[in-house]
Amino acid sequence: MKAILHIIEHDFRNFFRYKWWLAGLISMNLADLLIMAVVYNQMVSPEIAELTKSYFNFFAPGVTVVGLFASAFMIGREINMEVRRQIHHYMLSLPITRLELAVGRLFAGGLRGMMYMSPLLLTTFLFLGFPSLPQLLVILGALLLLATGISGLSIATAVSTTSFEKFVTARGLVYYVLFFCSSIFYPLSLIQTLGREGVMPQPLVVLAEFNPLSSGADLIRSFLLGDPPFTLNMVRNLVVFSVIFATTATFAYMKIIERR
Amino acid sequence: MKETKKLLLVVERDLRMFLQYKFIIIMRAIWFAAQVAFFGLIASRMVVPELADIYFEFYVAGVVIMMLYSASVFIGYDIFEEAEHGVFEYLLSLPVSRKELVLGRSIGGGIRSFILVGPIIAIALFVIGLANPLNLLIAFSALFLFAFGVSGMSITIAVMLKSGDRFDIFMGVLNALIVRLSTTMYPQVFVQDASKVYAAFSEFNPLTFASDLFRWGTGIERYLTMDPMPLAAIIGIVIFFFTFTFVGVTIYEKRLEGGGWQ
Repeated sequence: MKAILHIIEHDFRNFFRYKWWLAGLISMNLADLLIMAVVYNQMVSPEIAELTKSYFNFFAPGVTVVGLFASAFMIGREINMEVRRQIHHYMLSLPITRLELAVGRLFAGGLRGMMYMSPLLLTTFLFLGFPSLPQLLVILGALLLLATGISGLSIATAVSTTSFEKFVTARGLVYYVLFFCSSIFYPLSLIQTLGREGVMPQPLVVLAEFNPLSSGADLIRSFLLGDPPFTLNMVRNLVVFSVIFATTATFAYMKIIERR
Repeated sequence: MKETKKLLLVVERDLRMFLQYKFIIIMRAIWFAAQVAFFGLIASRMVVPELADIYFEFYVAGVVIMMLYSASVFIGYDIFEEAEHGVFEYLLSLPVSRKELVLGRSIGGGIRSFILVGPIIAIALFVIGLANPLNLLIAFSALFLFAFGVSGMSITIAVMLKSGDRFDIFMGVLNALIVRLSTTMYPQVFVQDASKVYAAFSEFNPLTFASDLFRWGTGIERYLTMDPMPLAAIIGIVIFFFTFTFVGVTIYEKRLEGGGWQ
């Protein structure tokens, strides 16, 4: 356990080296919320306004999840760089088991995401109202699961790409598909309607339904806005996503760092 | 004539450099596809009925301008890469004047962003259609100036800050604000409804000028403003271009030497 904490500490120290990048990211998230969402508030049709109550309120949980995703994904960039520059040889020389190393990196990625996301979540609470204590615990637990899964997805992507360019391209693809094919920006019911009308291909509708980012954003909305209603499917999606990618990343990382 | 040749050599070098960044081109293509196929399509079903028919085309045109902006900004990052690897000293040792160097880089930055955005513009025109070729030609000329101006702005900021970290944060914040406080994603009338302060920024934003011009060139803007010709946008872009190209040259000349890059 102590070894894992050391790894987490190491990754947190690295995280603060990117303070400029983080400041840019948070300004982008806040600009999305305080400018884009405010203007879209004026633009949405009465039907959507009725569905979302207010686009600003609808989008606030979405932007929290966007921030969590972007910051938890950063661990992959560092691991990809370490593998390319063979810094992982130094990691292997430490008196820490491979499993502890992999688990430490996975949790560090997730916890860094949680830390970055906290001010955004607080901003959401300030605008939408605070949840009850049990609801807050469920929200934090769900977001921790999401952050761990994202960290795993990022590590798995990082170790399966041989160059930085390929990693950045893969990251871009993952980002855009998961961001835009989710309920972060628009209600899931709208995507489902477009699917029924044949405008949106059915596999993309299914992806949006099972997308962990949709589940994370909708879970916050269910407690703060009351719509969509909370269902156990949201938690199930997050658990499945987190378990799959945490396991894949742990074993992939252990295998890659030992490869000559 | 000799000066023009040197200028062209600088432009050629920047174009060659850009073609090495194949992954950026792939990334941008993915970004465009996601923006249009997901956000554009779904958002057009979310907006008020009077905008619903035209919003998809409106948004596609806005995405083209966002891409043109981000591709033109990229030259500033190249400058830091060169400073980090000591290429700057090599460039300064060449028989090319500082003026030729910065003008060449500004033009090269503008042209390469057009090369990147060219196929996207073709797709956008296929989606939007083309109402008046003459209008489009005028709009394109202004967009060239816009791209040169943004490249000049990026170079100016890069050499003024001389710090990769500061440049990164500054451009991140600028990008966050300049795109959202413009009409790339929404018509001015809705920005006005949302906030008078936002509307004031949006009205004098070069991205607003460029978006309005591109939409006017393709014929979409007639649904929104009914302006016979967005003269204010053309003047705005010309002023933007002159400011950042020629003021940029002066600042670049002064700040280029003496090291201090971080």
